[in-house]
Amino acid sequence: MSAMFVVTGTGIQYAQNKRNEGKAIRYSIDHWDQKMMERDKQLTGSKRGQTDNPVAPPEFKVNSAWKVYKSLRNDII
Amino acid sequence: MVNPGYDHFEGEDWIDTTPPPSFLPHVDEVGATGAPLKSASYFIGSMCKEYNEDFMLCKNEDRNPEHCLKEGRKVTRCTIDALQKIQSKCLTEFRAHWTCLDNKNQEFGRCREPEKAYNECLFKAFGWKKDIPLAPTNKPQIHERTPLA
Repeated sequence: MSAMFVVTGTGIQYAQNKRNEGKAIRYSIDHWDQKMMERDKQLTGSKRGQTDNPVAPPEFKVNSAWKVYKSLRNDII
Repeated sequence: MVNPGYDHFEGEDWIDTTPPPSFLPHVDEVGATGAPLKSASYFIGSMCKEYNEDFMLCKNEDRNPEHCLKEGRKVTRCTIDALQKIQSKCLTEFRAHWTCLDNKNQEFGRCREPEKAYNECLFKAFGWKKDIPLAPTNKPQIHERTPLA
């Protein structure tokens, strides 16, 4: 019985560590924080990575992404 | 914010690699990510107040991105300047503060000790004081409150 608790505990800790790169989890994330984390991903390659150099590398100007969806309309292919 | 009707769809990411047009003056982008920016936010705000206000008033007139490119360039340059100034004099305290913020869900209230050292270093170097706008003036500001003994 207690082994089940241990297993789930380690599994959850492993998943959280992997997603947050060893840092604490971020909670209560609103749209501002989501967009900021997307921008961090453009700058560093991961959502929790941080850098503090004042000037961005030149790749930053062209690596922002638009979200595209398949159209819901039946008359457009 | 996604178009209504597409809220629960998984879209694909499409990256447009065309560079900005060449007739626009070149500007370096700000390279700091979320935690350092939040740490330096009050000081950037007090140093770049006029440029930020110009940009916001300009956006208020017209949301077209082309309308406010010039003011936007000024804001970017001022932010880069502020960050360079902070890092030239107070690098260790700045880094300590934003690593603390990064571990505490980016909440100022959980990182008061590194913030105190950071504010003192900046005050000694440049005379900048962290000031929360529109705070009530009859009591000490929240980052200067001493705990009840």
